[in-house]
Amino acid sequence: MLPYLNLGPIGLPTAPLVYLFGMWLALYAVDRAARRQGQEPEPLYALASAALLAGFVGARLTFVLVHWSSFDDNLLGIIWPLTSGYSAGGGVLIGAATAFFYGRWRRLSLWPTLDVLVPGLIVFLMAVSLADFLGGAGYGSLTSMPWGINQFGVRRHAVQLYEMGAGLAALGAWWTATSPRYRGANGRPFLLAVVVYSAGRLFVDAFKETTPLTTSGIHVVQVVALVLTLLGLVMLARPVEERAASQTGE
Amino acid sequence: MRERLEWITLIGLVGLLGAGWIYISRETNAGVGPTPLTTAPYVGNLAPDFTLQTVDGQSITLSDYVAGGGTPVVLNFWATWCPPCRVEMPYFENVNGLYDGQVAVLGLNQAESAATIAGYARDHNLTYPLLVDQDMRVNNLYGILNLPTTIFIDRNGIVREVLIGTINQGVLVDRIEELMGE
Repeated sequence: MLPYLNLGPIGLPTAPLVYLFGMWLALYAVDRAARRQGQEPEPLYALASAALLAGFVGARLTFVLVHWSSFDDNLLGIIWPLTSGYSAGGGVLIGAATAFFYGRWRRLSLWPTLDVLVPGLIVFLMAVSLADFLGGAGYGSLTSMPWGINQFGVRRHAVQLYEMGAGLAALGAWWTATSPRYRGANGRPFLLAVVVYSAGRLFVDAFKETTPLTTSGIHVVQVVALVLTLLGLVMLARPVEERAASQTGE
Repeated sequence: MRERLEWITLIGLVGLLGAGWIYISRETNAGVGPTPLTTAPYVGNLAPDFTLQTVDGQSITLSDYVAGGGTPVVLNFWATWCPPCRVEMPYFENVNGLYDGQVAVLGLNQAESAATIAGYARDHNLTYPLLVDQDMRVNNLYGILNLPTTIFIDRNGIVREVLIGTINQGVLVDRIEELMGE
């Protein structure tokens, strides 16, 4: 854990810094992916920027609405930079909706767009895991394994690093699927990356202590990951013509 | 046809293995008893213990309050340069008087010197314990990234709520009443 980076008398919180760096790196990844796929980077970069910005504002607004009793007599607190609670769910929802409507407005094709966006999304998710690792959030379950890390005085799985490993594997799958040797139909790199990342999260979330549970003790994230993995595989199994038809609604 | 069969086999296999892994890795005691407690500054966990000095030089240990079902603790992370922190400090002073002996209100400063904190307390008539954490040891232990942050710890030392942002008098009293009722 390294929640603060001490530079002389100044202590910089590492998690927000990693989020900022992650956003920049995600946008860079989208730009590079567009060029690699032979697409015009500008509209895709703009879509990713709009989604990130809307997600950031949406996450803050959702947090403020949920905790309104803490802000109703201190409106300065809403924009005070050091009072920065965010609601991830609200951010994801608003960011995804923005991306969807922006893509419709710019008339971007679904599968080629997703192929370019997915490396940016995975890079951002990896940044979230790294920020959690440095800040101490999203920690792992107890372990006696030698690779466990000491957190809050006890040895735990470094589950945030495992998540980053899943991200790296997904990026590797995307890179392979977009290489000239293995290049296939539109949508294949996106689906492969989703399948690999989801399968990875399905495995590593078993070692996460902060994960939401059902009443019977099942990890909710694992269930979502399994559904995404299976959906991705089903989509990959469908013939290319069927996938294209489903996009155009024919 | 053969390719289709291969895909169906793969999807079935992944589904079975995935469902099996989810079943094996489920929390076996969820819903049937208390979750084993571990130490972490998050809701439902034991609050990490610490010992710090107040501006008066008095040594304060968190576990002294909560050991053996003792006194609930309201732990407020703050700094003199943080405007929202300054807004809420009179509320903490009020509840410290209202619930004297029933709830411990602790102001845990971020990285400032004892002299700076003492000067601020004197100017603003603050009498509740203000703890000095100049080397950020406890701030880092609790992973405090935002100011103010207020942590509500029940009489058993379990974190009940982590509230990021300014708190008002009504919410503060409400949360303290909840802590005392548990």
